[in-house]
This record gives sequence, C-alpha cells and structure tokens, in this order.
Amino acid sequence: MNLGHERKLTTLLFNPFVFIAGPQALGLGLAAVLTAGLIGSFSHTHFDGVLDVHLGGGAPWWFFVAEGLIDWISLSLTLWIFGKIISTTAFRAIDLWGTQALARWPMLLIGFLTLPPGFRRFPQVLLGAVTQPGAKIAIDPWDAAVFCVAALAMLPLICWVVALMYQSYSVSCNVKGGKAIGTFVAGLILAEIISKIVLYQLLIFL
Amino acid sequence: MKSLPTVCPSCGGKLDVKRLHCGKCETEVEGLYPLPVLASLSQDDQEFILEFVEASGSLKEMAAILKVSYPTVRNRLDEVIAKLKADKKLRGKEKT
Repeated sequence: MNLGHERKLTTLLFNPFVFIAGPQALGLGLAAVLTAGLIGSFSHTHFDGVLDVHLGGGAPWWFFVAEGLIDWISLSLTLWIFGKIISTTAFRAIDLWGTQALARWPMLLIGFLTLPPGFRRFPQVLLGAVTQPGAKIAIDPWDAAVFCVAALAMLPLICWVVALMYQSYSVSCNVKGGKAIGTFVAGLILAEIISKIVLYQLLIFL
Repeated sequence: MKSLPTVCPSCGGKLDVKRLHCGKCETEVEGLYPLPVLASLSQDDQEFILEFVEASGSLKEMAAILKVSYPTVRNRLDEVIAKLKADKKLRGKEKT
C-alpha cells in the first residue's frame, strides 16, 4: 500500500518531509546550515535573520555558523510553541526541529551564489559612489551582471525556503488550513525578531 | 477481489448488512446488521490498519515499510482515528 505520496519531483522539491523527518532530517539539515555558514564566512555573507541574507563585514567563521544556528533555533522554537497550541494531535519535537533545519538547505545554494568575487566587488563600488559623491567610479559590467543574476536568483530561493518551512510545520505538527498559515506567519515574524535580538547580543563576542 | 461497498452508491448514506450467505451449505441469513466499525472504513484505511497491526503498532516500522517519514504515518493514523471517532459518535446518536 502507499499513502498517496508518490516520489514526484514537485513533492521532493517542495515537501520532502513526507519522506524524510526526525534525526535523519536533523543531521542533513544541520550539515547544510553549517556548510552555508562556512561558505558565508568566505564571501562575508551573513544569514543575519530567519530569512535574511546580507553582505557585510568580516568576522570569525564561528560567527557565520552561529547566525545560521540562531535562525534555525528561533523559528523552530516559535513554531514548536504554536504547534503545541493549535495541533490537536501529538507530534515529536525532533520532527519539527529536524525538518526546519532541512528546510534551510537552499541557503546553501544562496551561499554558493555569493562566492564569485564580482558579487562582492559590485556593491563595494556602488557604496563608494554613495560615500564619495563626485568621485569617478568604474563599474565592471561583468561584476554587475554577476551581482544582478545572483540577486535575482536569491529571491525564488528565499521563497522556496519559506515554502519548505511551512511544509515542515504542516507535516510535523499535523496542522493545515488558515490556522496553520496564520500561526506560521506569526511564528516567522516572531522568530525574525528573536533572531535579530539574539544576533545583536552575539556581536558582544566579536 | 471485489471490495465491500460501505456507502450507498445512490445517496452516499451508510450501508447496513441485510443478507449473509454460507458458501458451504448455502444457508442464507436475513436481518439488519450494522457494518462492523472497521468494515465501514475505506479499503485504504483498512489496509493501513492491517499493516499497522502487522508492524506491532510501531509507527517507525510502518514508516520504514511504506518508505515515508514518521510524521506522515502518524498523520495518517490520526486521520483514521478521527474517522473512527466520528463513526462511533454517529453510531451512538443512532442508538439513542
């Protein structure tokens, strides 16, 4: 028998959690979060918020990794609390925490997109134009193209992460419909605020 | 193998058993018997329950057999439990 879940490409891409959850998802998800953080440390890309990706200053590698972990913990915690409130059935915390970690895996792709040097050079040139008005700026068209393509590709990737995060919540806590969507959005906003506060506190250690 | 119809094809109402037949001596018993709770579930739900019992009620084992995640099996079980509860409630109302 099957439970009506065929291994279609769309299911594997947007709701892999019908096939993978628990410790397995947690292991893979944490590996993705850690790797994305390490890649970020090379390109100075900060995942400084649940859904944030920003180019910033240099920092020790552990800071970039910690950012990803704080983002994951913040959202898992808020959704776990909302799940406990609205779910009418029992669910395992490891499924939600594990699938939430795995839902962040496209951040790895975002990390790769920021690796080309042109991606960092172009905004620096633009920043220079803003901070030094009147100064002659030389924009490399190749750098501009790299930056634009990467920035445009990031948008659907972030949407994909949000879709995965919702499916993780829905499958793990067995919640559906308006209540699930409403609490997910509330959880996302709350987690964004929590992650920003915690990350701000983390700056003390730099 | 033919599957046992549990709802009326005409109006969608619940079906009861009116006649039973012995394949050995051809005896026929006529009466009005409600379908057992499990028999009133869909074929898919019945198969799920059978597999669940065969797996000694282990959701982990069920997940491994069906090649799906633990929460997927758990959610399916919750669906069947909800149907059984609704059926029980309906039968309770019919009795009173």
